Amino acid sequence: MNFLEFMQQMVNGFSLGSMYALIAIGYTMVYGVLRLINFAHGDIMMVGAFLGYFGIAVLGLPFVAAVLLAVIGSALLGMLTDKVAYKPLRSAPKISLLITAIGISFFLENAFNVLFGGTPRPFPVPEYMESIINVAGLTFSVASLLVPIVTLVLLAIILWVLYKTKYGMAIRALAFDVNTVNLMGIDANKIIMLVFGMGSALAAVGGIFWAVNYPSVEPMMGVLIGLKAFAAAVVGGIGSVGGAVIGGFIIGFTEVVVVAFLPEYGGYKDAFAFVLLILVLLFKPTGILGINFDKSRF
Amino acid sequence: MRKLATIATSVALLASVSIAKEIKVGAVMPMSGPLAAYGQVTYEGVELAQKLQPTLKNGDTVKVVLVDNKGDKVETATSTTRLISSDKVTAILGALTSTNTAQVIAIADKKSVPVIAAVATNDKLTMKRSFANRVCFMDSFQGEVVANYALKDLGLKTAVVIVDQAQVYSLGLAKAFKKAFVKGGGKIVKNIKITSGDKDFKAVVSQIKSANPDFMFLPLYHPEASMIARQSKQIGLDKPMFSGDGVANQTFIDLGGNSVEGYMFTDFFDYSAPPTEKSKDFIAKYSAATGKTEMNSFTALGADTYFLLVDAMNRCSDPSDSVCVNKEIKASQGFEGVSGVINMDKSGNATRSAVIKVIKDGKAVYKTTVNP
Amino acid sequence: MGIVIKKDQWINLAIIASTLWFIWFASSHFDEYTVRILNNIAIFTILAVSYNLINGVTGQFSLEPNGFVAIGAYVTALLLLDGDAKSYQFDIADPYPWVLALHANFIWALFFAGLFSALLALTLSFPVFRVRGDYLAIVTLGFGFIIRILAINNPEITNGSLGLNDIPEFSNLYWTGGIAILAVMGILNIVNSKFGRAMKAVRDDEDAAIAMGVNTFKIKTFAFCTSAFLEGVGGGLLAALLTSISPDLFTFFFTFQLLIIIVLGGLGSTTGAIIGTVLVIGGAEWMRFLDEPMNLGFIETPALPGMRMVVFSLILIFVMLFAREGIMGKGELKDLFKRKGKK
Repeated sequence: MNFLEFMQQMVNGFSLGSMYALIAIGYTMVYGVLRLINFAHGDIMMVGAFLGYFGIAVLGLPFVAAVLLAVIGSALLGMLTDKVAYKPLRSAPKISLLITAIGISFFLENAFNVLFGGTPRPFPVPEYMESIINVAGLTFSVASLLVPIVTLVLLAIILWVLYKTKYGMAIRALAFDVNTVNLMGIDANKIIMLVFGMGSALAAVGGIFWAVNYPSVEPMMGVLIGLKAFAAAVVGGIGSVGGAVIGGFIIGFTEVVVVAFLPEYGGYKDAFAFVLLILVLLFKPTGILGINFDKSRF
Repeated sequence: MRKLATIATSVALLASVSIAKEIKVGAVMPMSGPLAAYGQVTYEGVELAQKLQPTLKNGDTVKVVLVDNKGDKVETATSTTRLISSDKVTAILGALTSTNTAQVIAIADKKSVPVIAAVATNDKLTMKRSFANRVCFMDSFQGEVVANYALKDLGLKTAVVIVDQAQVYSLGLAKAFKKAFVKGGGKIVKNIKITSGDKDFKAVVSQIKSANPDFMFLPLYHPEASMIARQSKQIGLDKPMFSGDGVANQTFIDLGGNSVEGYMFTDFFDYSAPPTEKSKDFIAKYSAATGKTEMNSFTALGADTYFLLVDAMNRCSDPSDSVCVNKEIKASQGFEGVSGVINMDKSGNATRSAVIKVIKDGKAVYKTTVNP
Repeated sequence: MGIVIKKDQWINLAIIASTLWFIWFASSHFDEYTVRILNNIAIFTILAVSYNLINGVTGQFSLEPNGFVAIGAYVTALLLLDGDAKSYQFDIADPYPWVLALHANFIWALFFAGLFSALLALTLSFPVFRVRGDYLAIVTLGFGFIIRILAINNPEITNGSLGLNDIPEFSNLYWTGGIAILAVMGILNIVNSKFGRAMKAVRDDEDAAIAMGVNTFKIKTFAFCTSAFLEGVGGGLLAALLTSISPDLFTFFFTFQLLIIIVLGGLGSTTGAIIGTVLVIGGAEWMRFLDEPMNLGFIETPALPGMRMVVFSLILIFVMLFAREGIMGKGELKDLFKRKGKK
C-alpha cells in the first residue's frame, strides 16, 4: 500500500465520516436534552433523501432548492414527531419513550415502503457534483469533497448557536437539568422542539449527501446508517456536538481503512461501529469528549 | 315428448356443470418486503397466464391462490402449509428466491405436492427431492454461458470475480462461473467479497484497478452491481463488466446511469426477440393489458410456470392428482413457453437457452442466444 | 389460610392439565395449518415471557431477542445435523473438523443452545450494566446485527448465507407446548420470588433499590441471562420446526414483533405476554386480508402489500400513547380474581 493509495483512502474516510457526523449531531442533541435515543432519527435522514429526490426528479427544482425542501420538510417532521409522540410521554417511564421511538421508526420505514415501494430510486445527481477532480494523483468526485466542507461549516454554525445565542444557552441548560429550566421561565417544550428541528435538518443534509454519493434511495436506507451514527455519538461523547463529529470521523475512517487494508475482514465492516461502541463503554463510558452527566440519573 | 327432451337436456347440462371442478393452484410470492419488486413482476406473468388459459381440456377451471410470503422464511413455511392443508392446492408456483423456494419444496415434497419455481437458479434446489421443478436454467449453466462467451467470443482471458457473501444466488453463480472459466483456460486473478447492503465500494474498485484483469464478473443483484459500476467509472476503471440475470431489470439501468453503458449480462429471454409463437402472442396481450411495450423475463418465466403446469395437467386423467401432474411436468419435452423452448428432465430441471444482452444508450439490447 | 393456598394450587394444576389435554387434542385432530400456527404461538410464548422478564419486570429496555434466538437456532442446528449431512451441505467452505463432530440429541441440543446464549448475555452484561442501562437497547440491537455478520462471514461454521438445511424436524406441539408450559412456570416462579421483587424494585426506582441494598448489577444480569437462556431454547425449537435456517431469518422485525406482543399484553405481566402472543401471532394470520384488495362495500381498496407492517407500528404507537398499561398492566391473572374473593 503506497502513500498515494493511503491518502486516497484517507479522503474516502473523511467523506464517509462526515456523513455519519451530520446524523450523529442530531442524535447527540436529542439525547442531551431528553436522554432519549431517537431511533427514528435515521429514518428522518431517509425522508430527507426522499424529499430531495422528489424535489429534483418530480418537481424539477434546482439542486439547492431541493435541498431546502428536504431540510425544511425533515425539520417539520422531526418537530411533529416530538409534538405528537414524545411530548405526551414526558413524564412517563423512559422505556415507553424508547418503545414509541422504535414505533415511529418502523412506521416511517414501512409507510414509505407502502407508498413508494421498496425498489431503490436513482437519485438525480447534478452534473457538477459527479465530475472528478484530480489533485496530485488523488481522484475524488466533487460530491465527496463537498461533504466534509459543508459538515464543518454546519458544525461551526451549530456551535455558534449553542454558545453565542440565547436559544443555545437554553438548550445547554436543558441538557443539564430540565426542571430548573422550567423554573427559570423558559418553555422547555419549545426548546426541545427547536432541538428536534435542528437535528432533523442536519440529518436531511446528511441524507442528501448520502444520496449524492451513493445515488440510490430506498425506504430502509436510514436503518444501519442511523445505528452507526448513534454509535459515533457515543464514541465521541454523547451530549457533545463536537464529540459527535469526532465520533463520526472515527467510525468513517475505521470502516474505510479496514476494507482497504484488511480486505479479508471487509465483511465485518458494519460491525466495527458496534465494536468501538462496546470498547468505549468498557473503558471510557463518557466517550472521547466525555461530558459527565449527573450519574445518579442512570 | 318435449318435456322429456327438456328434462334430458337439463340433466345433461347439470351433469356436465357438476363434473367441471375448480382446481386450486397455490402461488407463493414476495409481494411486500425487500423482494417485492421481483415478486410483483413475476406474479404479473402468472396472473395474465391464468386469465388467458383458465380452463383445462376437460372443462375444469384453474384458480390461483396467491399468498404473500414477504420474502421471509417463517412466512413462507406458514403460507405453504396453509396452501396445502387448508386450500388443498394441487401444485405450488414460486417462491422467487432459491432460499425461500427451498423452504416451499421442503414442505411440499413431504406432502407430494409438485412445486414449479420460476426464477430460482440454485443448483441444489432439486437435488434429493422428487417434487421440485423449475422453468429457469441453473446457476451452473448460467456460469458456463458467461465463461464460454467471454473466453471464446470476446477473447477475454483473465477475470476478477466479485461475490456477495450474503446472497445464495451470488455464491452459486460465482462458483459455477469460476469452474467453467478455469476449465476453459481462463485465469481468475482476484476474488473479492462484498456484502449486500453495502454502498461504498471505493476500496474494492481500487483493488480491481491494480489487478488489471481483462474483465470483471459480477454475479450480483442490481443494487450492488450498479454502485460498483458507478464507482468504477469514477476512478477511471474501464474494463468490460458482466453479470448474470440479477441485473436483468430496468432499475439496474436507472441506478447505473451512464456508467452501465456497454455492460453485459445473461438473461432468460428478451421481449424484442420472442423465441416462440406463444411468446409473440403473450407479449402482445401483455402490452394490451398493461400498456407497457417491454416485458421483463421474470414475467415471462412466471407465465411459463403456469402454462407448463396446465400443459401437464391436461395430460392427466385427473388433473387434481398431484403425483400424476408432477410426473407429467417432468416428462414435458419441447414445451413452447413464453420465455423459450423448455425441456424438462426427471430431476425437475429445465434445459433451455439463455440470451446475452448489452446495455446501449440506456437500454438493454439483445446480443445473442446461447443454446444448451 | 390453608384453604386459600390449596385453591391457588388447584387452579394452577387445572390450567396445566387443560393445556396438556389441548396439546394432545390439537396434535391429533387439527389440520396441519392450525398446528403450525399453534407451534408458532408456543415458541413465541416462550420468547415473549422471557423477553418480558428483562423489559417489563426489570424495566431495562433491551432489543436482544433476534440475536439470542439466532444463536440458539444455529447451535441447535449444528448439534442436530450429523457429520454426513453437514459435509453434503457445506458448499462455500469446508466445515472445521470440530463442527463436523458436533452432535447431540434434541434435549441436549436445546440445553446447549440456551446455555451458550446465556453465556454471551453474561459477557454483554459487563460493559452495559456496569455503566448506563440506557445503552442496552443500542448494544443489543448492534449485537443482533453482529450475529448476522458473523454468520455470513464464517461459512466454515455456519455455511454462510446458504444456511443450514434439512434439520431433523423434532418440533411438534408436545415439545413446543411442553417447554412453553415449563418456561411460563419458571418465569412466574422467578417473578414471584425475592428476585422478582428485586427486579420490580429496580424497574420502579433504581436509586431506592440501591439504597435498600439491592445489587442492581446482579439482578439486571440475572434477568438478562435468564431471558437469553430461554430465547436460545426458543431459537432451537424454531430451527427444528422450520428445518432450515439462514442468517437473514433473524432480523430486527423479529424483535419488533416480540416488542409489540409484550407491550400489547402489558409490560411486566407474564399472563399479558401470553395473551399478547396469541393475539399477535394468531392475529397476524388473520390480518393477511389487509394485504389484499378489500371490498368495503362502498369503496374498493387496491392491494397494499406491507400495510400489515404499517398497522403493527401504529398499534404500538397508540398503545404507548393511550393505553400504556396494555391489556393486563403489570398484574397477573390471579390479580384479576383477588379483588372479588377474600384475600
